[in-house]
Amino acid sequence: MAFSQLIINGLIAGAIYALIASSFSLIFNIIKFMDLSPGAIFVTAAFSAYAFNVLFGLHFLIALILAITVAVALALLVNLIVYQPLIKRKSDSFTLLLASFGVFLIITGFILLIFGAEVRTFGLPITKGYELLGFIITKTQITLIVTSIVVFIGLQLFMKKTKLGKAMRAMADNKQVASGIGINVKKITNITFIISAALAAIAGILVGLEQNIDHNMGFLVILKGLTASVIGGIGNVPAALIGGLIIGLVENIGIWYLPSGYKDAIAFVILIIFLIFRPKGIFGVKTREETSG
Amino acid sequence: MIEAYFIHLLILIGIYIILAASLNLAMGNTGLLNVGHVAFYAIGAYTSALLALNLNIPFWIGFLAGGILAALFALLIAIPTLKLRGDYLAIATLGLAVVVESILRNWTSLTRGPLGLPGIPKPALFGMTFNNNSYLILVIIFSVITCLIIYYITKSPFGRVLKAIREDELAAASLGKNTTKYKTQALVISAFFAGIAGSLYAHYINFIDPTTFSVLESILIISMIIVGGLASVKGAVIGAVILTLLPEPLRFLPIPSFAIGALRQILYALLLVIILIKRPQGIWGEFTKQKENGA
Repeated sequence: MAFSQLIINGLIAGAIYALIASSFSLIFNIIKFMDLSPGAIFVTAAFSAYAFNVLFGLHFLIALILAITVAVALALLVNLIVYQPLIKRKSDSFTLLLASFGVFLIITGFILLIFGAEVRTFGLPITKGYELLGFIITKTQITLIVTSIVVFIGLQLFMKKTKLGKAMRAMADNKQVASGIGINVKKITNITFIISAALAAIAGILVGLEQNIDHNMGFLVILKGLTASVIGGIGNVPAALIGGLIIGLVENIGIWYLPSGYKDAIAFVILIIFLIFRPKGIFGVKTREETSG
Repeated sequence: MIEAYFIHLLILIGIYIILAASLNLAMGNTGLLNVGHVAFYAIGAYTSALLALNLNIPFWIGFLAGGILAALFALLIAIPTLKLRGDYLAIATLGLAVVVESILRNWTSLTRGPLGLPGIPKPALFGMTFNNNSYLILVIIFSVITCLIIYYITKSPFGRVLKAIREDELAAASLGKNTTKYKTQALVISAFFAGIAGSLYAHYINFIDPTTFSVLESILIISMIIVGGLASVKGAVIGAVILTLLPEPLRFLPIPSFAIGALRQILYALLLVIILIKRPQGIWGEFTKQKENGA
């Protein structure tokens, strides 16, 4: 396998990690707690797309839209029945994180109950790869990269240019002031969960296009998504892209030298290295948030 | 038959009491978000099992080795994360749990991967082997000692500093306490006992494989201390008893084993979320203070 192939594989994996990392970062940045539930939203979307496409025989694009709808609805439901009561009571981020861990396990538990423990694949035809500059890339992989780029640019434009995006950033800066100048905090909270869930859902469906899906993949998604957001600087949504690409590349180059079974440990080693030397991430600005207390 | 089943349940309860009480020291008393306690449990179990199987090292040394290795891993996690805000510890401990499970699965030359390690010997003392009934006594002794040590720690001046850190770390630091050092010690002690629990489990079941130490097991231990109540040894014991027994009836339902696993997972997680929303102090807890959001 050529080195350029490793790079391209790394970029493909990195694009997915970047999407999921921005899903985590968005909630951390705006709602101010580390939510683990996007890991479950990711799995839900992958399995919903599988169910609509393979089990119900719907066209893939319709299945995709339905799966994203299911994922977003689930995230809103979780916010309504779990997070809102806790936030209203001024629970600390400790309680919210634990609750989100519970939510993650409830959702993935139901997926295991419904779909069983077998590994599933989307019934898409296998396409022949194109050979370019010494590496092979399939149509699906090109779709995957293009989709991630479009989603990322869309997210940036939304955050910078639209009124809602600006309101979200205002709330990230200071919730009290934002509420004081007439920003509807509840609405922005819901929109944050919608966007975060859509990002996680797109990542989940894209992974389903490329690899097998199983009920247990959520944990690795959390590990890699959170590591990617730590690398970029947790809560920094654009930097999540860089974080995701770094993990994707290091992982894929790393398994050139290590047995492939240790691929998942690579992300963890990167995480620890960053926590020791640069906990605020590559681009992180030092804020009060990073230090304890 | 029924008697053997009860003894089995009591042994499991004893092991879970050690896990819950030790996690409570870090999570309940000190406020550390350790969501990967199962990693320390796994490290203890595999260390002691491998020492016994490969080098014939008796349980009495193996359990200490398991505890010490688990404590070393806790130190590895503590050094980079405990200076930072609490969420980073959560990421790192969850990461450790995911990676430990993955390594147990993949380092086949050492751990035999998914095949697991069979034939772990039962402990023996002066020619007497600890079988089911006597193993129960052994587990009771271990869990009582663990609870006493942890109770003593929480009531000591050291424990009061831990509590102060949980309530207001900045205030504790401003009184000249090196809070990072105290938090590190709490996490290391907590991991040491989890390692011992792992060793007790391995030498009781005689067979361990990576599925026993999946990250899901962490939610079980967390639910135990949340249900029983944070920062209370009594709470940890009650939580361990309730949550070990609660899913047992599922075993008798005529459903496939993956569905039992899924139902157990949902049951534990649901209980955790409901208690967090409705009764955050748990049944017996003292941890009632609500910090400002985002603290």
